[in-house]
Amino acid sequence: MTQKTTAANETMMVGEGVGFARIRRITGYLVGTLDRFNNAKRAEENDRVKHGL
Amino acid sequence: MPRQIRKRNGVVVQFDASKIFGAIRKANQAVGEEAMTPEMIDVLTKKVAASVEGNDIPTVEQVQDRVEEQLIAFGYAKTAKAYILYRAEHAKIRQAESSLMDIYKELTFRDAKDADIKRENANIDADTAMGTMLKYGSEGSKYFINNHVLPKDIAAAHINGDIHIHDEDFYMLTETCCQIDLIRLFSGGFCTGHGFLREPKDIRSYAALACIAIQANQNEMHGGQSVPNFDYAMAGGVRKTFRKAYFKALAQYFEVSHGMSRGDARALVSAVRESVGSEPTLQRGEAFGQALSEWLPAHQRENGFEAISAQEALAAHAYAMRTAEADTDDATFQAMEALVHNLNTMNSRAGAQVPFSSINYGTDTSPEARMVIRNLLLATEDGLGDGETPIFPVQIFKIKEGVNFNPGDPNYDLFQLAIRTSAKRLFPNFSFLDAPFNLQYYKPGDYDTEVAYMGCRTRVMGNVHDPDRQVTCGRGNLSFTSINLPRIAIEAKGDLKKFYKTLDDRIDLVIRQLLHRFQIQCGKKVYNYPFLMGQGVWLDSDKLGPDESVAEVLRHGTLSVGFIGLAETLKALTGKHHGESAESQKLGLQIIGHMRERMDEESRQTGLNFTLLATPAEGLSGRFLRIDQKKYGKLPGITDRDYYTNSFHIPVYYPISAFKKIELEAPYHALTNAGHISYVELDGDVCRNLEAFESVIRWMQKCGVGYGSVNHPVDRDPVCGYTGVIGDVCPRCGRREGEGVSIEKLRELRKKYPSMPRFVGLE
Ligand SMILES: [Zn+2]
Repeated sequence: MTQKTTAANETMMVGEGVGFARIRRITGYLVGTLDRFNNAKRAEENDRVKHGL
Repeated sequence: MPRQIRKRNGVVVQFDASKIFGAIRKANQAVGEEAMTPEMIDVLTKKVAASVEGNDIPTVEQVQDRVEEQLIAFGYAKTAKAYILYRAEHAKIRQAESSLMDIYKELTFRDAKDADIKRENANIDADTAMGTMLKYGSEGSKYFINNHVLPKDIAAAHINGDIHIHDEDFYMLTETCCQIDLIRLFSGGFCTGHGFLREPKDIRSYAALACIAIQANQNEMHGGQSVPNFDYAMAGGVRKTFRKAYFKALAQYFEVSHGMSRGDARALVSAVRESVGSEPTLQRGEAFGQALSEWLPAHQRENGFEAISAQEALAAHAYAMRTAEADTDDATFQAMEALVHNLNTMNSRAGAQVPFSSINYGTDTSPEARMVIRNLLLATEDGLGDGETPIFPVQIFKIKEGVNFNPGDPNYDLFQLAIRTSAKRLFPNFSFLDAPFNLQYYKPGDYDTEVAYMGCRTRVMGNVHDPDRQVTCGRGNLSFTSINLPRIAIEAKGDLKKFYKTLDDRIDLVIRQLLHRFQIQCGKKVYNYPFLMGQGVWLDSDKLGPDESVAEVLRHGTLSVGFIGLAETLKALTGKHHGESAESQKLGLQIIGHMRERMDEESRQTGLNFTLLATPAEGLSGRFLRIDQKKYGKLPGITDRDYYTNSFHIPVYYPISAFKKIELEAPYHALTNAGHISYVELDGDVCRNLEAFESVIRWMQKCGVGYGSVNHPVDRDPVCGYTGVIGDVCPRCGRREGEGVSIEKLRELRKKYPSMPRFVGLE
């Protein structure tokens, strides 16, 4: 990751501009970030509802 | 007669019936028989015009569909066929004029985040130079295949979205995937095409060579690579590492306790290796200790060396066992950690992708294999460097009653560990050897009879070509093509007879296409696949010379027909999908059962392994939908989302309990012998509850699921290293996406979480 830092009120800040990584299963395999999902898969992922037990 | 018509480019123009007349006449003339009079053509033209009359402006595509229907209805079958070809030809010309260069422009000038075409496969980075180069090749190849290789009607069916030929860009080149037997491959060493590698001597080199083998094979095939027997294969490496560690520790013992020189201690140990018949192993340690304590005192006495009593020999043995076991365990952990790391970082396909790798394990109960499985799971649980969740290899834990499923089974503890790992890292997935369709092949202890799965779902087991070789190793899928099921249902307008008729026609078409591709594949020679065939990875290829044809051995592979969108199909036919109605479930099973019967029938007739696949829908779920939405508009419950539902799955948006979903999907696993997967989505918190997690897996086993997994959100904050569910705010450091955190706060947090990522130069 990039180490972007700024001095804000004399405090060093770490992580500005850094997103969260969100891992999801596509079919049997995993994908490390939602950015690489194609549009249809992104829509599908978005629609997924949790299954209760 | 309609007044207007919408052209393909969207422009509305005056409706001109003479164009229909002309097209029909042209098609009829092309046939040379079943001659039509101008009066007849006129009748047909009027029928077509009347059929598209209504409130909406008809499209050119709709009018052409009607022409086909009328020709068939009036019994002009040959003219209809000629007309279809004529349409296909024009579709191709249209494509030729515009699309390839437009595609190249899009690939060149747009980022992946804006261009869907660059995100077809989520694990390929198409923004890199090599990724883009691959896409140029791939798109150019597809263009060539569509326009110059495929029979016209097949090309048309693929382009218009009746079917989808997967990995079409590789049509002229290779097969999908292979299940690699590392035990056979390692024996005696092997060649990667870039040099010879000796037979590995310890677990670390076993693991390293496993990665190299996967990588080498991946570069010769267009799909993924799987190791069906990872535990059995790695156990040999553990055995060798243990033996080496044992003798090293034995020598150390005498160096320390007897003050022997290193040379003397080594000489003693090599005398032991030569003279004590058996080898020390994790399992047979005691027997070796006994033999050692009987042989060593006499050996020392007879050669006039310093005295070593039987008791001392036993003490030395105990030390060597203890030390060797601990050292081997450490080495195995490092090896598994390195394997996971390698498979997440090593390049294939000119750097655009890491190899698509899968490993199956869980059933080898030897202490060496158990050590492998345990350490692999522990390494997976730990994650990569800063605790990231590994994406590869896809891990599949094979569940088998009597082996690992129930308390008291020898690998039950590893099943428990697998659950804990999966609840944190999403892997392993679980496969079920007790499902009747898998159990029928199973012979205890013979890994070649244990069904394995490729990461995304592919399964290769039955073998009509050679019924004595219904085995996992050395076999794979040759190619697969999917059918757009919802479209057939939409067109049938509730008429089941019509639905099945069209479905049968589509299946015929796909079978013809798979055989067309198979002929091309059969034209290859062993030297086209220096690793896959040259090194004997593929079944029976070891019997072939470099210039020989692979046609015969390819017959061990499978040709698969896939499908997508059963849920939408049922919606279109009955108004309800199989989650909503028991009647629909019954119909769904009939449809998929019918498809399977067609595959079995084709297998009997051809002696080739035609199998039915629950298609992994990554690229296709959107493609079919987009085309159909244009064609039919947004039909509620059918085409009103951005995707068709995966294979036989209950739609992702439909609320249903995990148990019910599993129960409804399980029977389709038995029908889809080319591969299948079911998963359920669990809440992050439910998932931390290992008993709940296990109850889901046990239900899958009970219902006859072949391959399944549990999905749950795994998020990670790269700044503070937190892994788990992250909503808008990171629960550990409190930042929102994109926000910064103060160094002081991170320092404070590190006291509590020592494994947090470090920021070089800042702290
Ligand atoms: Zn955080």
